[in-house]
Amino acid sequence: MVAFIAKRLLSAIPTLLAVLTVLFVIIRIVPGDPAIAILGDNATAEAVAALRERLGLDHPLYAQYRDFLLMIAQGDLGSSMATGQPVWDEVRSTLPYTLELTIASILIGIAFGLPIGALAATNRNTIIDYAARIGSLLGLSFPAFYTAILLILAFSIELGWFPVISQGVPLTDVGNRLYNLALPAISQGLIMVGYVARASRSSILEVLGEDYVRTARAKGLDPRVIILRHVMRNALIPIVTVVGLYLGLLIGNSVLTEIVFNRPGIGKLIVEALSQRDYTLLQGLMIVFAFFIVLVNMLTDIAYGLIDPRVRRQ
Amino acid sequence: MRANRASIAIATIVAGILLLTAAHAQDRVVRLADGSQGAGQLDPHLSTKSQDVILFGMIFNGLVRFKPGSINPADIEPDLAASWESSPDGRVWTFHLRRGTQFHHGHGEMTADDVVYSLKRAADPKRSAVSSDYREFKTVEALDPYTVRITLEKPVPSLLGLVANYQGGYVISRKAAEKLGENFKLSPVGTGPFAFAEYKTDQYVRLVANKDYFRGRPAIDAIVMGYIPSGASRELAFKKGEIDAFLGRREGRWVSRITLTPRLEVDVFGPGELRTLHFNMTVKPLDDIRVRQAIAHAINRDELRALFGKDVTSTAISPVPNDYLGQTNDVPTYPRDLAKAKELLAQAGYPNGLKLSAIISNNEALLRPMQVIQEQLRRVGITLDLDVVEHAAFHAQIRKDLSPLVLYGAARFPVADAYLTQFYHSASIVGTPTAVTNFSHCKVADAEIDAARSETDPVRQQQLWAAAQRKIMEELCAIPLFEQLQVWGRRDTVHYGFLLKGAMSLGPLFTEASTIAE
Repeated sequence: MVAFIAKRLLSAIPTLLAVLTVLFVIIRIVPGDPAIAILGDNATAEAVAALRERLGLDHPLYAQYRDFLLMIAQGDLGSSMATGQPVWDEVRSTLPYTLELTIASILIGIAFGLPIGALAATNRNTIIDYAARIGSLLGLSFPAFYTAILLILAFSIELGWFPVISQGVPLTDVGNRLYNLALPAISQGLIMVGYVARASRSSILEVLGEDYVRTARAKGLDPRVIILRHVMRNALIPIVTVVGLYLGLLIGNSVLTEIVFNRPGIGKLIVEALSQRDYTLLQGLMIVFAFFIVLVNMLTDIAYGLIDPRVRRQ
Repeated sequence: MRANRASIAIATIVAGILLLTAAHAQDRVVRLADGSQGAGQLDPHLSTKSQDVILFGMIFNGLVRFKPGSINPADIEPDLAASWESSPDGRVWTFHLRRGTQFHHGHGEMTADDVVYSLKRAADPKRSAVSSDYREFKTVEALDPYTVRITLEKPVPSLLGLVANYQGGYVISRKAAEKLGENFKLSPVGTGPFAFAEYKTDQYVRLVANKDYFRGRPAIDAIVMGYIPSGASRELAFKKGEIDAFLGRREGRWVSRITLTPRLEVDVFGPGELRTLHFNMTVKPLDDIRVRQAIAHAINRDELRALFGKDVTSTAISPVPNDYLGQTNDVPTYPRDLAKAKELLAQAGYPNGLKLSAIISNNEALLRPMQVIQEQLRRVGITLDLDVVEHAAFHAQIRKDLSPLVLYGAARFPVADAYLTQFYHSASIVGTPTAVTNFSHCKVADAEIDAARSETDPVRQQQLWAAAQRKIMEELCAIPLFEQLQVWGRRDTVHYGFLLKGAMSLGPLFTEASTIAE
């Protein structure tokens, strides 16, 4: 398993390098001057030129790229052009918020999506199945920001249970942290419920048609045992694929959730870095982002091995 | 066991809520919400961005200040300087500082040394975004710890404006700036009623009351400026009671709707941002004045004002915003007249109309009026192709002279010279080393603008500014369209302590006199 992980990590290096190069080029092609974005539109051309010089933006592109790669090779993400704060510090302070939101959304997605999918599959073409399918479709169809606003109106304004804006709370303040996390996690989790429910329904339906399930039924096994022991395990591979695939999307979706709930996080920071043309901060954040996508893919592969021994043997 | 765990979790949540509530009850905190993503650089000489400028007015002082709630230069009053005098020719100004004014966080007494350091810094293009405003400063000296003398190369239109609580006029702690270096922009140290306490990236800036403030301890304990980009979230957070004041939409319909919210008051105040359509007069067909006149006659400014609502806009006639010192409406005007517009186009050799293009920001405040203009021009046969780009890209591209038509909105220091110099003087033409925002390449009023700048007779100075405005409108370098005012919503328990008619900080200003009721 260690060799497998090491191999996957090594193969991630070219991917990261490609992502970094594409990002480095694209952000500099996009029109917009970091110096104007930082100083404001009232700044004089002299001040803009002075700042460009100080930020090293007057150097040739290849020199900037070389410096950038050298910095990354040393494990240094540099400092934000706008604030001067080390990018690592910015990542450290916001990453936990994005991670906890993503993990909580995944947990909600699995906790509700899997049973709903199983229920729909085992009650195919009944009212339960129709309700589950329509419900999951609604979960997927509502834009994240729309669901978020509806949840805020219902649970924050009408019922007053949760805050509208989820300002940052220290990690040690667990209760308050969970209180602030609840609504954004539900908002994002609803999308995941939709994905997981649909994926698990079709996957379970497929397994239910297998010969060994028919045999188990013929042997008179308890239907619950058939579902839990024989069907679920075999149906999990496609579900894990969906979860892994959409985990990346979920991190991307977190931008909207973070903006509507005004929650600190990587997504919100990326938007800010982009609007400010803060090249170094954006590059640093995208490295973290790309790393997580690679990590999620690797964890998905490992999960295959854990679920299905045949994958390990291969 | 499970039940116990659940009870502990619920108890923790409840305790957290109670603690937060208790903390709120103890402190008189005003929670504001701006619409930006976060603070930029909290260095008053470096940042001209509205989300930073709004805080500077509370952290720093100038030698003089606009009377709180006013943006009228005639209302300028003493601030860090208790008094001042100038030489008869207006070239030498001596300021006598208040004694005992303390910088925040124990950075010591503010003296002439700090003032000299701050003004020299404001004049340095490497450390200031507004250095060109100070180009006429010859020397700034400390005659003694409480006296500062400024000597000018030649008189400037409003020296007091350059040392007021606005942009380069803010006085910072020399000790703190030298000690903190680059980090000063994240730990600013001033003398204002509120001291910087904390910045959480993307979340909020927290200011705390300066107990040693020379005008007395503020009645408010802290100000938290939160950054909530979503307008809907700001409104909902207000309704839930999580914020006390917030940036509103600068639209009459929004104002009418939001005023129905219980316990909410809306402040509509200056300075208005003058929306102007600038013509690049060096490119065809805009180099022909008849084409510019045709466009001016085709535009319906009432329709444009109606787009945002008359409550939050005002008419614009002159190329200088209303109420600026030296502004005049005695300028040539171009009322809507479609027949005349078509006739002018025919005279210019375009009887069948013509095609124009413009780069425009995706920012609604610029995009929407530009789309209305596009439709209005279509009525006289002018096809306007719009290239809609992201806001930062828009600013970069218009400064590279890439857009023949530029719709721009801005508020500047309320003296005619500021607007005339930055938008209509040849030294400010975009693409030049001294460029600011002269998108039209206008240079017809250079002589009047220069002469007014060094004119010591206020009456003659105003005549020169008026002449400059007339020339700009005769030549039609640009068409002033309308002014859009600032809009903020506030809980009725929050009181500024003065009537908010205007704030150079482009947002609500809190002073030692501001209060929040329980």
